[in-house]
Amino acid sequence: MSKWYAEKGEQNDVIISTRIRLARNIDGFVYPHLLDKEGKNRINEKVKKAVFEKLGDGYSFCEMSSFTPLQAVSLAERHLISADFASRRDESGLIISDDESVSIMICEEDHVKLQVMKSGFALGEAFARADEIDDSLDSSLSFSFDERIGYLTSSPANLGTAMRASVFLHLPALTLCGQISAIASTVSKLGLSISGAYGSRKKPSGDIYQISNKITLGITEETAISNLESIVRQIANRERGAAEREIKDPSAEDKIYRAYGLLKNARLLTTEEFMSLITYVRFGAYAGLLDIPVEKIDALIIEVQPATVSVSNEDINTVTERDAKRAEIVRKALD
Amino acid sequence: MLCQNCGKNDAVTHIKQIINGEMDEVHLCRDCARHLGYDDIFSGFDFDFGGFFGSLLGDMISPRLIGETERCDKCGCSFNDILRSGKAGCSECYTKFYDKLIPSIKRIHGQASHTGKVGSGAVRREKTESAGEKIEQLRAEMNQAVSVQDFEKAALLRDEIKALEGGESK
Ligand SMILES: [Zn+2]
Ligand SMILES: [Zn+2]
Repeated sequence: MSKWYAEKGEQNDVIISTRIRLARNIDGFVYPHLLDKEGKNRINEKVKKAVFEKLGDGYSFCEMSSFTPLQAVSLAERHLISADFASRRDESGLIISDDESVSIMICEEDHVKLQVMKSGFALGEAFARADEIDDSLDSSLSFSFDERIGYLTSSPANLGTAMRASVFLHLPALTLCGQISAIASTVSKLGLSISGAYGSRKKPSGDIYQISNKITLGITEETAISNLESIVRQIANRERGAAEREIKDPSAEDKIYRAYGLLKNARLLTTEEFMSLITYVRFGAYAGLLDIPVEKIDALIIEVQPATVSVSNEDINTVTERDAKRAEIVRKALD
Repeated sequence: MLCQNCGKNDAVTHIKQIINGEMDEVHLCRDCARHLGYDDIFSGFDFDFGGFFGSLLGDMISPRLIGETERCDKCGCSFNDILRSGKAGCSECYTKFYDKLIPSIKRIHGQASHTGKVGSGAVRREKTESAGEKIEQLRAEMNQAVSVQDFEKAALLRDEIKALEGGESK
């Protein structure tokens, strides 16, 4: 079955993907950080039963203990689970749909963390799907809810809708003209948060950013989504405007073709080097300079993340072998 | 555990992130977490807010000032435990410590009343509540009828109450 990220989405030039996460808890159980092994197993059983009965086929269940550390990190690289959940080596359960667009982390921070991912700009669509699944599961799990403060969550920061909506954007032109920090400070003043989606906190890589809502209480899901939607739309338009100007600059054009040349010919590629080059290639692709579908590049970015490369190629034992494999995958993809 | 940044204060914010395929964990004290902007931009791969707000919550009220006497019946957490970890122990904690938590909740969200989706848990509760209230009211009416010796009316009311109570226990 083809995965969600291989599909072409709305406004896919600048907007890579959309994600909705809902946190829910089940009455009568203490929250995951206090829950013992037996409690976790009981929640696994309950959620599994609800999913298989209400949502039908197309979902599979695994315990986090059944993955190697590398496999778990690869799941996080593919956006299926959070980094925190990837560090679990225990009975915490994970349910994934066949196309990987829906995943349910069981006993992460809360008993149930439902996630829906869509390619491109699809906040409304992703929320509708998450909402529908939430209703189905709620009818048999009856999630903890309080009329005054909404869905009850282990962290008070998620009370209310307990919804985190995120959009992943590629902003190479705004990065080139040094506007990212201004945008970041505006965005955070508007009650949203922005972070680098790859790389470290100090040095985000690939010019890919995640913008999410922060406030969950006192605001409806619809309002939170439409606020996020309008900010993202404005940022995407600014990126396109900046791209139009930047692309005329010979030095930007040069960067794009050099990056393309390097990626097409390199025999060894570290993740850092790959990320620092692919951003120009993606830029060239979405601005019409290079004839490569952006969704192909987006799938490639996921495919060559370190743990994912190692997991899908069992013969890799050293870092050099991994860098060689990465270069090979990249050459094939760009050919 | 001490803060990795200043090495002086206790680390209260623990953030896991993945950098180039390696799991990386950062332990910071409240001040350093805020100073380094862990609540905001460039927080690394797939960062969630959960851990950070723990320090936000604890920041508002000094834990030393609050007695440890009261505990949640279900999970055994004290209000102190919630402040320290930034996490409630179970859903009952919100009932037990509602008044104490509300100021912090307001500080985080700017508001403290839910306007979004209503879960089925609420609908169930409302039904029971309204059924309970209705029964109370009917019972009062029945007693009134009995006291004025209107037994016919009292019998009708009794049947109605029975029907409602039956519906509730189903
Ligand atoms: Zn510190
Ligand atoms: Zn409790």
